[in-house]
Amino acid sequence: MTLRTYIVSRILLTIPMIFILLTTVFLIMRVLPGDPVLLHFEKMEDPALIAAMRVRLGLDKPLLMQYFDYLFGLFRGDLGKSMQDYSSIGQQIFAAFPATLELAIFSMLIAILIGIFLGVESSKAYNSPKDHLIRVFGIVTYAIPVFFLGMILQMIFGIGLHWLPVGGRTYQNMVPTGLNVGPVHFSTGLYTVDSILEGNILKLGTALKYLFLPSLTLGLVLCGIFIRLTRSNMFETLRLDFVTAAKARGLKDSTVTYGYALRNAFLPVLTMMGLQFALLLGGAVLTETTFSWPGLGRYLVDRINFRDYTAIQGVVVVFGLFVALVSLAIDLLYAYLDPRIRL
Amino acid sequence: MEVQLAKSYIVNASKRMRTVIELKIKDAKAIGKMAIVAILVVVIVIAGVASYYFYSTQTPPLKDTLIMGTTDSVESCLDPARAYDFFGFEITQSLGSPLVEYKAGATGSAADIIPALATDWQTSSDGLTWTFNLRQGVMYNSSREFIADDVKYTFERGIGIADPDGAWVGVGIGDIIDSVTVVSKYVVKFQLKIPFAAFLSLMAFQACYIVDPQYAPKAGSSWSVNDVVLYTEGDARASNPMGLGPYNLKSWTRVAGKDTEMTLEANPLYWNAGAGYPKTKTIVISFYADSPGLAMAITAGDVDVAFRQLSTNDITTMKTNTDLKVWEGTGAFIQYLCMQEKYAPFDNPTIRGAVAAAINRTTIVQTVFQGQAQKLYSMIPIGMFGHSDAFQAFGDPNYTLTRELLALSGFNENNKLSFTLWYETSGHYPQSAQQALVLKDSLEASGVISVTLEGRDWAAYRTARQEEIMQAYIMGWYPDYIDPDDYIFPFVESNGGSWIHHNYANPEMDKLIAWARGNTTDSARNSLYAQIQTLMVQDCPIIPLYQGGAFAVSRTNVDGIYLDITQNWRHWLVFARQ
Repeated sequence: MTLRTYIVSRILLTIPMIFILLTTVFLIMRVLPGDPVLLHFEKMEDPALIAAMRVRLGLDKPLLMQYFDYLFGLFRGDLGKSMQDYSSIGQQIFAAFPATLELAIFSMLIAILIGIFLGVESSKAYNSPKDHLIRVFGIVTYAIPVFFLGMILQMIFGIGLHWLPVGGRTYQNMVPTGLNVGPVHFSTGLYTVDSILEGNILKLGTALKYLFLPSLTLGLVLCGIFIRLTRSNMFETLRLDFVTAAKARGLKDSTVTYGYALRNAFLPVLTMMGLQFALLLGGAVLTETTFSWPGLGRYLVDRINFRDYTAIQGVVVVFGLFVALVSLAIDLLYAYLDPRIRL
Repeated sequence: MEVQLAKSYIVNASKRMRTVIELKIKDAKAIGKMAIVAILVVVIVIAGVASYYFYSTQTPPLKDTLIMGTTDSVESCLDPARAYDFFGFEITQSLGSPLVEYKAGATGSAADIIPALATDWQTSSDGLTWTFNLRQGVMYNSSREFIADDVKYTFERGIGIADPDGAWVGVGIGDIIDSVTVVSKYVVKFQLKIPFAAFLSLMAFQACYIVDPQYAPKAGSSWSVNDVVLYTEGDARASNPMGLGPYNLKSWTRVAGKDTEMTLEANPLYWNAGAGYPKTKTIVISFYADSPGLAMAITAGDVDVAFRQLSTNDITTMKTNTDLKVWEGTGAFIQYLCMQEKYAPFDNPTIRGAVAAAINRTTIVQTVFQGQAQKLYSMIPIGMFGHSDAFQAFGDPNYTLTRELLALSGFNENNKLSFTLWYETSGHYPQSAQQALVLKDSLEASGVISVTLEGRDWAAYRTARQEEIMQAYIMGWYPDYIDPDDYIFPFVESNGGSWIHHNYANPEMDKLIAWARGNTTDSARNSLYAQIQTLMVQDCPIIPLYQGGAFAVSRTNVDGIYLDITQNWRHWLVFARQ
């Protein structure tokens, strides 16, 4: 199988995956108690108005027709309208997704950096107090609830030291505008990237200041699994002949560890990164609430409360696509890093 | 020799003289320097004392910008034709003006209603016609004046759009107002369909705030829900259909249906600007996802004021924080227990009375709300005219009475009255699960009642209410307009209370409510509401539980916060000193 065939087949496989996911969510939402129509009428309950609202939301049609209507819309790229405030779901998701993506990227970066560094150090100092300490740290961060860790960090860095803000995405009037050259306007929605495109260091600093605590929280929670995985893989790799040979040739310890051994021990960590992305999105739901981060996680929770069927379906589709794309990217990276694997 | 001696004497003498003179000059210079230093010291000390005195007696200047934190968010939009949520109303009050408004510290009586865009008003003897004289010279902008046509436009628009999501339909304003007529440029007349005593209160209601026709246009030949002014990204002015309030909407950003930032800037054309309002030039509103986030923000000093929603625990902790000031006021939010009267056992008023007698409100208030709520013995809240502690007739609790009343229906220790108590679990009401647990304990302490708890999130709870499958269920109420009518009519009038689905109907009650609605005299209404509350005790269709408090927390340099029964948050009165 060539690489191109592999990529195409993986993308094609994503379609039934999303289809199954969507169908399941579609049915579950309608089985759950709670009617989005009634939520428009907390006090007033005129049957004629309720019936009119049912028509307006498209819920008067048979279930199968609702399902196919939604699917046809999806094929046209239309995620539908919110059943709560009638807004375009596509626009809402498009507005909220960059915040979640930025949080996910920085959290994963922190998790990998801390996880790999401590994992390597732990494997090098096998069975020493340093090793035990790192292992305990890994277990604690893995086990600690994300909202609890978030609140502890808020209390230390926000209330105690006054170094970092406790919530939000940036300070007022500090939203970066992105690249603006004459009539050309381009922004990614990622505040760090947009600040750089705008060339505004102050906005970049502010964005990073707001991003730091939520990313650190989520990153710390995720790093535990990377510590354990890196430690066990590195422990075995460091004892292989090629490492001894590299050391015998007089190469620096750090070059041997990070340049040779880690590259070999990294593949299982890479696989885990792909799997952790799905977990990360779940964690982002809680982190976004704790840090008032205006992302897709908060949007999803909010919409579930309103039984906003179309919004929930839309977010699930986007999350599913995101996880599928990340898995594909990881697989490609895997092939690049391990020359033995050629698709 | 003598001459030489004399010469040397003279020379020496002159030298001595010179030395003395030089010394004296040096002394004089030294003294001069010292004097200058002393004078400087005195001047500095006097200046210091004077400035200390000056600044200690002068209050520090006000901050231009005040940052408010909240967990609320505009639910749909800022158009009075649709907005029907607490925060939407809060912002409406700052961006627009009504004909009349409640003064700060109001109790809900008609005497608390003061002029706003109307300077004075008259009503006909039958209570069906209301005439308002409008304030002259009020400007939308430099060239457009507010006139009677704008009032007519606003009310015809609200009734015409008839948005099912909005308060116009929710309250049924179209069922109250028949027509609005422009008598002259500054006089407008309302013709009502029914005599409605709470009409002035309705005029102060946020749904009735006057819109600016230029920013709230009619697209077609008739009004439709498509005419509702929605949030427009990047254009705050287009998102706001009003324009006569103390503030203009400078910026408003929302991400995925939730507010992320809002800035209000003082409106120089505000009709009450001459009196010094608004006090703060710029209000920035920061939004937090939940109450712990907001509590962190006010404690860390990220915001100057935190209003809605802080948890009971956070407020208790903040009361001991010397950097913070906790503001307490009368809340208009109430919670009450409904019983399904369509089926046994609650089709029997005696059994409903037995349940009322077994409720221990003290534990709800003290255990669940740590004293930050009040025991409520009437559907009309404490602090509002017409209130009486009618349900105290059942005791608090009186288990002897419970046992006696239940014995009449054959219930006792061996044959307990068993029912399911439902509560909401998704935060639609405060601390619902704890309330349900405390209520269960309180009821079962009678020894003759057995309670099973059942929790649902709001969406499922709302459906269960519609399906009338809940035997007993806890509900809550925020008023639409500040009048006893809004605490009676929607609960125990046979049509008005149909939305609760408790199936209570009593023609005698309906008659009393109709009289109270149609009577504009405070004393007569007081008497009628006393009779209504007595009848409520007799029928026990609904059991009041507690009245929530209103709380805000600020940094210590903030002032001008008024939390009264109207629940109005008056941004234009709030200020912070530097």
